[in-house]
Amino acid sequence: MLDSTQIYNMNLLEKGVLSVMPEAVIIIFAFIVLFLTFFEKLSKSDNPYYLSLISIGFSFIYVLMLSGRTVNGFSGSIVFNRFDVFFFIGILFSGFLTILMSKVYMDNFKLPLPEYYSLILFGVASMMFLVSSNNLIMLFLSIEFMSVTAYILTGYLKGNSRSTEAALKYFVLGTFASAFVIFGSVFIYAATGHLNLYNIHYFITSASDKGLINFGNIKIYLAIGLILFLVGLAFKMSLFPFHAWTPDAYDGAPTPVTNFMATGVKIAAFAIFLRVYSLIYNFNIMDFNNILWLLAILSMTFGNIAAIMSSNIKRLLAYSSIAQAGYILIGIIGGGYYGYSGTLFYLLAYIFMTAGAFAIVVIFENFDLMSLDIKKYSGIGYKYPFVAAAMTFFLLSLAGIPVTSGFMGKFYVFSAAIKSRYDLLVLIAFINSAFAAFYYIKIIVQMYMPDGERLIESSSTNGVQPGRGSVGADLNKSNNDFGIINGKINEGLMIVIFICLFFTLLMGIFPQIFINFAHNSINSLWSI
Amino acid sequence: MSVNGYLIVASIIFCIGALGVLMRKNLIVVFMSLELMFNAANLGLVAVSSYLNLIDGDIFVIFVMVVAAAEAAIALGIAVAFYREKGTVDIDKANELKL
Repeated sequence: MLDSTQIYNMNLLEKGVLSVMPEAVIIIFAFIVLFLTFFEKLSKSDNPYYLSLISIGFSFIYVLMLSGRTVNGFSGSIVFNRFDVFFFIGILFSGFLTILMSKVYMDNFKLPLPEYYSLILFGVASMMFLVSSNNLIMLFLSIEFMSVTAYILTGYLKGNSRSTEAALKYFVLGTFASAFVIFGSVFIYAATGHLNLYNIHYFITSASDKGLINFGNIKIYLAIGLILFLVGLAFKMSLFPFHAWTPDAYDGAPTPVTNFMATGVKIAAFAIFLRVYSLIYNFNIMDFNNILWLLAILSMTFGNIAAIMSSNIKRLLAYSSIAQAGYILIGIIGGGYYGYSGTLFYLLAYIFMTAGAFAIVVIFENFDLMSLDIKKYSGIGYKYPFVAAAMTFFLLSLAGIPVTSGFMGKFYVFSAAIKSRYDLLVLIAFINSAFAAFYYIKIIVQMYMPDGERLIESSSTNGVQPGRGSVGADLNKSNNDFGIINGKINEGLMIVIFICLFFTLLMGIFPQIFINFAHNSINSLWSI
Repeated sequence: MSVNGYLIVASIIFCIGALGVLMRKNLIVVFMSLELMFNAANLGLVAVSSYLNLIDGDIFVIFVMVVAAAEAAIALGIAVAFYREKGTVDIDKANELKL
């Protein structure tokens, strides 16, 4: 049977170009958007915004065109196969929703916009590179590329001390993690003499077949290397002992960027962890499943307890994302065909429910710090019934109530873990989901409380009026919610909410479409 | 001499860097410690690469150095922004984000 790569008989350069085509499109557009700054007329209007949306669309078309193929570019450093296609689609959606959210948010700040959009595009491209990287050099480079764009975006609100502080904390801990990744690769390289993940895989397989795994220093080096590598990636996935940056960075960053970190960065980190774990961790060097088991339980428990105690919605969602990372990890622990495809399904579902929730945070945010408090949400169920219903749906999906994508994701992940006899883990996860429902439902109850809104409004107007008549009008103007213009909710945000609702519902009612797609992707995870 | 000695030295430097990141209060010293961690990895890569007679590790080192330079640019940018707001580079003054 002829493979598609054999029909064209491509040379090395063609292969290389083909394997990075979707990323290349986005990077070219990112530079065009960046160069718009030189032309004052062009950069002042909405051009950067529309150009970035178009570039995501082009890249999406390329991904679909290449979707059936397996291309192995740059002498094995980059592999493009169906596994990548699944994550590319997720990452492109994450970037698309982030850009849609950004316009109305960033227009409130007097900051240059072309740089912002080009950084988002660079971030999307770097995540795609990370997913398809198959070499420790490429892996390290794309992790750094992704993190650097995320640091800059986190500190983008110039003159805002919270944003700068978030960028500082994110930078120090993120770079700390990157150092662990590279130091882990040193030891893996010392043990195996290879940097290509497949070559490392074959080396370890043949060494353990021949019984050479305990010969010399190979086993010690591999164990040290893999542990350091795991620590570095766990930082990026924000698992429990390595989560410290998550709430601060999520809280201080501009909300669309928070969404980008929560969806894009997280699923890219999980994608590469899935690839690395399935290739080089599954040997009798150490019982890594037990380590992951502990990490998953600690992440879930800590994330949920901390989320119950926080009243800032961005912090609450940050802690909930730590807990969600724990649930996703269960799929990887469960392992095998069903565990991995369940993980993929959960990650895709996670993008849409989180992006939807953050879109609603953007709507009701303003320059007042208290606008992020969950008390702010009281009464919106009567003022904006559709938005409140959508938020309810996303939160129920995060909690894992049936008919939502979150339920199906948990179902696939937990059933795979039970199949692999991790009963205690699944039991603890069940208890945790029940706990988690408490703080998600707390927000829903708050939204449908009738009296809260009037109370807050009357107290705030009372506070402003006496003695500050002239400033009052200005204060009122600056306290307008970002997403609501003249009493109407911005269209871009409504599109985000519609897309997220559509996919959350579709993945909940017809999960078969998506789980088949995930099965196909997992089939080609190990094919070069 | 085997490669072990080099890797032990690299590990010690790496640990010094990690302790520096965790314990020092001055932002610039923290950034220096991060660079130290990267360079410890570079030392290990060069040692392993020459021990195994391979070129991959040396190439990796060049990439790491480039990335470290890019990180330093970002780091100093963040440090300047932080200094403008707080008037100091003491890391303990980064205490606004807790709610």
